[in-house]
Amino acid sequence: MTAPHADQLIDGYLARLDAAAGDLPKAARQELVDDVRAHITEARTREAEETDAAILNILDRLGEPAAVVAEARERLGIRAPQPYRPGLLEVLAVILVPFFWPIGVILLWMSPAWHWRDKLIGTLVPPGGYLGLGILGLAAAHSGSGPCVIVSDAAGNTIQNTCQQAGPSWLQAFIAVALTIVIYALPLVTASYLAIRLRWGRQPQPGIASLRMERS
Amino acid sequence: MPVPADGLVSQMRRGALEYCVMALIQHSPRYAFEMIEALGQTGLLTTEGTLYPLLSRLRRDGLVKTEWRESSDGPPRRYYELTAEGRRALAAFRSEWTSFRASVDGILQEGKKS
Repeated sequence: MTAPHADQLIDGYLARLDAAAGDLPKAARQELVDDVRAHITEARTREAEETDAAILNILDRLGEPAAVVAEARERLGIRAPQPYRPGLLEVLAVILVPFFWPIGVILLWMSPAWHWRDKLIGTLVPPGGYLGLGILGLAAAHSGSGPCVIVSDAAGNTIQNTCQQAGPSWLQAFIAVALTIVIYALPLVTASYLAIRLRWGRQPQPGIASLRMERS
Repeated sequence: MPVPADGLVSQMRRGALEYCVMALIQHSPRYAFEMIEALGQTGLLTTEGTLYPLLSRLRRDGLVKTEWRESSDGPPRRYYELTAEGRRALAAFRSEWTSFRASVDGILQEGKKS
């Protein structure tokens, strides 16, 4: 008889083991996961009546994935990955992303302190930082005055005038001010966001760190 | 009184386990689960999963070799067998351990008497 949640429990354990073994050489990682999978298969054949509890006991006896991987690291002579400590690179990246976009973004992608998702956000929101906004603003100003065309007939009557304002001027002014505030605040918001995400990344990986402390 | 040098004991246990595993397969090849069952009573192996990194290392160091075999009552099993080099290493440890144990025992007994 198969336990109702056997596959779920076992797959979950193996996935955690595989994730914990992320820094091992590929072959060693694969072998470890394969060995443990074979172990579980073997252990299951010895259960007279397989229940979820029996599966959980098998996994408990195997030990925490982090402990198994710590052992593998020690036997392989691999040092546990040290938590990355952000430094000058990250400070410069946060400052330069809004104010000197291309260099800031290069630094941002060089640093291992951010998740790739945060790097993408830092790169794309807003595109180009203040430099990009300046170019964007110039382009907008240019296009604003560009398509204003007055077409008159021979008698001087205006046939077509695209210069007419689309709405009341106070609304336009309000939108312009609001847009300016938002646009100029955005790069700072992005920089603040990156700074916050950086602090989260600073926390040491709990599993490995606590394990190492127990061992020493 | 606090437990003396817990780190040392666990290091000794780890070191000794390597040779205990080799001793388990000195007469005939065994598969990992059999070794775990044999070690189960001794307290040398508290988390079963840690045996696999140990076996991998023994194999990489050329002290054991492995072979998959079909079994009649379960899934295919990977059997571990001592190599000639493994036998030499085990023999060296055995003599080393015997004299080490005798020395330590001697001193500890001495300490008890006084």
